[in-house]
Amino acid sequence: MFGLKGIFRTNTSQFRQQLRLAHKIRGKAPIYCRTIKERIDELNYKDELYTTRIDIGFPPERKEKVRQEQFQHLKAIKNDKNLEKLARDQKLFIDLDESKKVWLETVGPLHKKQIADHYAIFEHLYGEGYFIPYLNLDIFYDLKNDSCLPVYSGNVIKPAEAIEPPIVSYQCAPDTLWTLVLTSLDGHLTEENKEYAHWLIANIPGRDVDKGDTLIEYLQPFPLKGTGYHRYAFVLYKQNEKLSYEVPKVTSESSLEDRTFVTRDWYKKYQDVITPAGLAFFQTSWDSTVRDFFHKTLNQKEPMYEYDFPDPYIRPQEWFPLRKPFNLYMDKYRDPKQIKKEYLLRKLQSEDPFKSPPPPLKFPNAHPLPKSMPSWLKLHEKKIRLKWGRVNDV
Amino acid sequence: MFALKDSFIKPLRRFNSSSAAAEFFNRNPRNLERMRIGRKPDGYHLEKPGRKFWHKLEVKGSNRTITAQVVHYINGPVVEAKTSEWALRKQLYSMVDTCAYMNLGRVLAQRCLECGISEMYCDLKPQDGSKIEKFLKEFENGGINLFELDVYKNPQPWDQFRPEKPWEVIEE
Repeated sequence: MFGLKGIFRTNTSQFRQQLRLAHKIRGKAPIYCRTIKERIDELNYKDELYTTRIDIGFPPERKEKVRQEQFQHLKAIKNDKNLEKLARDQKLFIDLDESKKVWLETVGPLHKKQIADHYAIFEHLYGEGYFIPYLNLDIFYDLKNDSCLPVYSGNVIKPAEAIEPPIVSYQCAPDTLWTLVLTSLDGHLTEENKEYAHWLIANIPGRDVDKGDTLIEYLQPFPLKGTGYHRYAFVLYKQNEKLSYEVPKVTSESSLEDRTFVTRDWYKKYQDVITPAGLAFFQTSWDSTVRDFFHKTLNQKEPMYEYDFPDPYIRPQEWFPLRKPFNLYMDKYRDPKQIKKEYLLRKLQSEDPFKSPPPPLKFPNAHPLPKSMPSWLKLHEKKIRLKWGRVNDV
Repeated sequence: MFALKDSFIKPLRRFNSSSAAAEFFNRNPRNLERMRIGRKPDGYHLEKPGRKFWHKLEVKGSNRTITAQVVHYINGPVVEAKTSEWALRKQLYSMVDTCAYMNLGRVLAQRCLECGISEMYCDLKPQDGSKIEKFLKEFENGGINLFELDVYKNPQPWDQFRPEKPWEVIEE
């Protein structure tokens, strides 16, 4: 049985190969039994005690006189002859930047919360806590060729593009204090439910991120090879007072263990004086800069992973297997390493390091095999010529 | 669950011993879907509408407004846009005309890309010249692929072919 953790604890069936030994009705007749949806819902049922969530963010700002203004604006639109002409000719294209600006002021924060829940950001940052990011956080990675890559909510940014610390900007009053944290939610090398703090700046006066105290220096993202997409989340907290955060100072030379971080515990400690206000996150997957990072910065071997697929089901071996091709049947019960070795030896036999390899056969199966050869061996040879089956594993 | 790859070749350079664990668990709930090895609900092919998707595009029009949303098979609607939102309504002449559909497609495509969703299943079969068709055209021009690839099936040793592993393809 494979380790089933986190989100997949409920879907155990995907890790086991399903067996159906015969077609027969199992359980109750279809009219009496529950539907698959009812059964899955029952399996996934969680008590309210564990699913209740707590809003730890700021309440929405009250906006006044918006209704009246909107009403006036709509009236003006309906009387605009040019706009009507454009709409009737199907040439009315709205300004997407303007639309986005309005979206951020209206329903944008709610949509951001929705997508952050989809990526389980709040669950892994705060457990039962969540917040609606009413403050918009503009984060850009400078790509050096007069273009920049913004961090929105879940877009993909490659590690090569995120080597340098990004440019962060937001709207706020100048006499307020802020804390910015960048953590990797999936990247911890040794412990499963921990994070690495990639960047922590405390006591940012107003919008000047450079004037804050950098407690943890910026570290580029390093998603490991073969493990897919990792999430990296920027969270901006508003401070009520100046804070020192009893975190040891971490520079770019410090070891990775010093960066181990658990946002939930850290937030729990300071929850009376800080409140999360802004959120932006991205996903990233392996590229060659990660290898350079491990070799040059950490001076260690780069860990590489492969997805651990479930082993296939092979039914117990029989004394007298009827109507089974003997060679294929026996191969199923042999040591796979031995089979691979045989294929490898066969391949090496025909290879000469001092000669160029012979050109591949244009019509592989047009070359006759000896008449005395048994048919099963002929088939075996043909498969190798066509590069079918186990020969690909070498 | 990912297991450490056993290397056949000994490392040439001498490094500090690797501190990584032998098993690594990626908590990102969207990771396996992006790698194309996650579970996709299957077996409802006799039903209409189909349920074999990770993300699906849905468009609902009413007399007053149009709603377009991207639905996840477990989490429900995850990205949505409406023409009655002030962000769109402010610049539109009407909330239900063809231009509203076209602009809704553009806005939804932008939001999907910002959320890292660039592929989704779509079972809308619009008539030629319909509003939905224009919506889909603008949506695709916005950079979204209306086709979701199948789940990668790990080949067994006795299988005929070895399909390419989607996560090992590194685009430049």
